[in-house]
Amino acid sequence: MSINTKDEGLTDLYNPNVLINIGPAHPATHGTLRVMCRVNGETIEDAACEIGYLHRGIEKLGEDKTYHQWMVYTDRLNYCSALNNNITYAMTVENLFNLSVTERCMWIRTICMELSRIIDHIVCVAANALDIGAMTAFFYLIHWREEAYTMIESMCGMRLTTTYARIGGMSYDLPDNFTERLWKFCEEFPKTIDEIEGLLNSNRIWIDRTKNVGIISKADALQYSITGPSLRASGIDMDLRRDRPYYFYPDLDFDVVVGSNGDVYERYLVRMEEMRQSVRILKQCNKRIPSGPLWVEDKRVRIPDKIDVYTKMEVLIHHFKIFMEGIDVPKGECFTATEGPNGEIGFYIVSRGGPKAWRMRVKSPSFMMFQAFEATIKGGKIPDVIAHLGSVNIIAGELDR
Amino acid sequence: MITRTNTFSPGAKFIETQGKVTARLTEKYGQDRKVELDKLEEPIIWAKNPADAKLLLKSFMIDPHLKVDYLSDVTAYDNEDKEDGDKRFVLVYNVTSIELHTRIRIKTLIDIDQEAMTISDVFKAANWLEREVFDMYGIKFQGHPNLRRIMMDERFTGFPLRKEYPIKRREPFSNNIPFHLGANPLKVDTHVTENGDKK
Repeated sequence: MSINTKDEGLTDLYNPNVLINIGPAHPATHGTLRVMCRVNGETIEDAACEIGYLHRGIEKLGEDKTYHQWMVYTDRLNYCSALNNNITYAMTVENLFNLSVTERCMWIRTICMELSRIIDHIVCVAANALDIGAMTAFFYLIHWREEAYTMIESMCGMRLTTTYARIGGMSYDLPDNFTERLWKFCEEFPKTIDEIEGLLNSNRIWIDRTKNVGIISKADALQYSITGPSLRASGIDMDLRRDRPYYFYPDLDFDVVVGSNGDVYERYLVRMEEMRQSVRILKQCNKRIPSGPLWVEDKRVRIPDKIDVYTKMEVLIHHFKIFMEGIDVPKGECFTATEGPNGEIGFYIVSRGGPKAWRMRVKSPSFMMFQAFEATIKGGKIPDVIAHLGSVNIIAGELDR
Repeated sequence: MITRTNTFSPGAKFIETQGKVTARLTEKYGQDRKVELDKLEEPIIWAKNPADAKLLLKSFMIDPHLKVDYLSDVTAYDNEDKEDGDKRFVLVYNVTSIELHTRIRIKTLIDIDQEAMTISDVFKAANWLEREVFDMYGIKFQGHPNLRRIMMDERFTGFPLRKEYPIKRREPFSNNIPFHLGANPLKVDTHVTENGDKK
């Protein structure tokens, strides 16, 4: 079927084929996404997504940069939870070395991952509420995101693009007063979650806008390979933290939140409860974090301490070689995925030896979610698109890579 | 046999299942196919050709010992140095079982002028993933409903993730192209001509 814009005009309201373009620079897309909807009246009959506006060739760069240099690009994938990407990437390279990081490092990484999960969920819930019109929730939640960012700043000196992890360790140890700070956060943040739930959970407008909107059925979720909170909201009980446990997750006490209906409302509920569970994990981490070395003593990956670099010749050479030549990763391949805030974020690295990867593949959850988005908004209304888009939390950096 | 790297906590339940899955793969499907283990002891099975890869995927889905029901990833990598075989690319399907929490990687060699079989009829998620493989490597998928470039502009020439593609090559376009709508592209006359002028 073809539409002649000159004769019929896309502005003609009685035209059953009016095209409505959302994005790529729309305030509700929170990134460069483009959705083209063909509407009949107000019902979307067909939709198409266009991606690639933020394509920076990160995978190609992965084949050109050394393993350490590429670490900074992982920050730019899902920039709401940069820590999680850093750590997953470091983990993948460590797996290629068959290397085990120290216990303290594992606990710090767990704290980082849970903090980034909280931040990501805050951004998602707050922005979703803002798009729908609940501005109060945004202000209440963003305050805590700032707190969390300040904590992250004290850990690694950066807020958004952290580059905290290193292969075999972390760039810095935790600051002195971190335990008290984290404890305060864990004590006070859940109160805000309660407040937001009080504001939204039984709010008539919120329910009208979100319940039975943007439903992703169980079968669809499997077919479209949806991961993370959206998958669990659709009623599939899968969480890599529990099912394919890494680090100390089996020793930690937390519940996996599973929904049933898979609509915007349930995705919101799942995210809220996951934040509570993350706080629960953080509290346990805070209690149990051991002292000890941060770095694994392995000559292949160990970045020497700065004080030694300035005072000892051999260490200076070693430092120089690590940063100028890169680390020599053994031949082999592996796919490591962790339960990121948005879903299963995975890195598939094929190494043919040497300091650069042969193939650096980023398996991003947003890519799958945006594909399902195209199909699941059909039959809905234009305002539902905005609610749906906010609830699946598509991050353009991760989508386009 | 299972090496404990830092990724997986020791004693995790799925590690045992993963071993069983590997055994099943070797026993049932491994007679004339190569079965390998990667650094995390996850099984990799080499399909004989792209059609065989699809066949394997379908049989894994009905196999009661494997219970594959979830597609993690479809990707490819350049085999320019012929390390993995004599063909140009390696196509990789990464599949998961939600129930068993195990992953299987199906790999197959594919030549530059060869066509792969689409699996978008088995998993809808493969639609975009295959488009991405086509966009980045130029591997065509037979039977794909909408095989167009996904990241790059449609007028783009070359395939960026092939090893011979220079990292610094740029191909800027000053104007946009008419969009497609849905799986069945809808032809729309846009106001903008090729030169970017208004009609």
